[in-house]
Amino acid sequence: MIGCEFMWKLGGEDLQGYFPVRSECQADVPRTRFKSRAGKTLSARRWHAAFTEDGHLDMERVLRRIQRGGIHPSIKGEVWEFLLGGYDPDSTFDERTKLRNHRREQYYAWKEECQKMVPLVGSGKFVTMAIIAEDGQPLEESSVENQEWLVKTSVTDKRVLQWMLVLSQIGLDVIRTDRYLCFYESESNQARLWDVLAIYTWLNPDIGYVQGMNDICSPMIILLEDEADAFWCFERAMRRLRENFRTTETSMGVQTQLGMLSQVIQTVDPRLHQHLEDLDGGEYLFAIRMLMVLFRREFSFLDALYLWEMMWAMEYNPNNFASYEKTENGTKQDPRLLKQYGKFERKYVKSGQDEQHHNTLAVFVVASVLETKNKRLLKEAKGLDDVVQILGGIAGNLDARKACKEALKIHEKFLRKANKQ
Amino acid sequence: MAGYRVEDDYDYLFKVVLIGDSGVGKSNLLSRFTKNEFNLESKSTIGVEFATRTLAVEGKVIKAQIWDTAGQERYRAITSAYYRGAVGALLVYDVTRRATFENVDRWLKELKNHTEPNIVVMLVGNKSDLRHLLAVPTEDGKSYAEQESLCFMETSALEATNVEDAFAEVLTQIYRITSKKQVEAGEDGNGSVPKGEKIEVKNDVSALKKLGCCSN
Repeated sequence: MIGCEFMWKLGGEDLQGYFPVRSECQADVPRTRFKSRAGKTLSARRWHAAFTEDGHLDMERVLRRIQRGGIHPSIKGEVWEFLLGGYDPDSTFDERTKLRNHRREQYYAWKEECQKMVPLVGSGKFVTMAIIAEDGQPLEESSVENQEWLVKTSVTDKRVLQWMLVLSQIGLDVIRTDRYLCFYESESNQARLWDVLAIYTWLNPDIGYVQGMNDICSPMIILLEDEADAFWCFERAMRRLRENFRTTETSMGVQTQLGMLSQVIQTVDPRLHQHLEDLDGGEYLFAIRMLMVLFRREFSFLDALYLWEMMWAMEYNPNNFASYEKTENGTKQDPRLLKQYGKFERKYVKSGQDEQHHNTLAVFVVASVLETKNKRLLKEAKGLDDVVQILGGIAGNLDARKACKEALKIHEKFLRKANKQ
Repeated sequence: MAGYRVEDDYDYLFKVVLIGDSGVGKSNLLSRFTKNEFNLESKSTIGVEFATRTLAVEGKVIKAQIWDTAGQERYRAITSAYYRGAVGALLVYDVTRRATFENVDRWLKELKNHTEPNIVVMLVGNKSDLRHLLAVPTEDGKSYAEQESLCFMETSALEATNVEDAFAEVLTQIYRITSKKQVEAGEDGNGSVPKGEKIEVKNDVSALKKLGCCSN
């Protein structure tokens, strides 16, 4: 951990200290803009004060704060669990403890199931090389270095084989995930990320593992100490994102959101859309990365988390918890007060549209990013390469709060114009 | 070939794609070539990324527009859209991972399905600095390349070995084919491309290869 004691001082409070960056990587990391602001950011004190004695949470108050100034790094994990619909604010401490224990047991049971197939799971180690041949036959021992983890018998079950084959891909991505953070200098932390992704992949064979999930999962591993809690937080985040990762031979799920983006720009800025169309960019493929890994590459680590929680707060729907749990215990949805919804979600509910519109705030955030570059795109972009280049230059220059604010404005404009048509 | 002349600060613009399995070092080859940088903490490429570099080839200024693609098969539907218009490709494998070499066949088919037949392809065995972990002997790469009429080179993005040469070689070849084609089109009198031109260009590529300009 040498070199990790170095920390940045930001506006008085040492926020970067929560996620220290390896000293040799300082120069390569975008600078962080997020500052914890008194009276705006949800602080630990405010957070704890929002619970009643038996544990009921005043979500309305919490949401108001987060939408204004994000969450203090010391409590991000526990707040995210609520934001993502993992726990019901309208429950007691005892009820949640029970649910948490139940979920942990569930997770460790799944982990054991995976361990039985591949003992590497949960061993604190992981692989970047294949452990089995594509046809399901054992690999020749002499050709591979990590021999001890090779699957010794042939595998015929298709789901099992598919899963085993993707484990090396997960490993290849784990060693490339947020490696500038001191946290991932530890092999066991890398292995935790690998375990969670491997188990998620096993449970979701329809989606499988797709590059980019590692970028979504990594913060959960860092923020939540218990691996099972991290898994569930990731699982909840993926409820919103998983369709982006669904691929076929000819398409990727994210293209649905790209189509929405195209529609939004066409409506609010027809000139820019026409220009992009002329450059053969009407499919908006250049925006894929922003949507797939939710701006992880455009922002510093802390700023990306800030953006996420702000988006999730704005998208907050009090019915999410119940609808996610439906398969397990059939909780009935009950109508809530509008104030308990996030700003973005509220608009949909008000307009009477159904809630199954997939959380699309991210699309509007991308639109707001395009709008900030509107002049340069119109003037300087003479090819798709220029578009990529202009958008590539935004790393470290975006303000998460402004981007969200602009996104809401564009959303309003879009609804207004779309209703007129 | 789709290289075209422009009036700006370069004579030709060539589009080149970087393809190959995940983790073979495509992005680092690109950053080594365009920025002379290597990043040990590099991240996986999501979708497609891109960089350019301008360099002189036989007295002409060539702007290389290089598209770097995600390696995972699941991204193929998106990445293959970017193959369109490419006149060159670097098909990269990792010399320490045999499986990435065995997949080269699949990549080549993929490339042929989405590009013009006269595209210049170089097979690149990257990470040659990791000699002690070598799993694909140079001979294997070389003979596969010969068999498929591809250029071949072993590189190390980390040590900056052969990276410049590999890109320069591909760009030179593209330039030669393009300029030859222009001359021929000029001789034709009216500048139109005669029928059967593609086949002729393909023959030209093999002729160039026989001269040995692709050998390591």
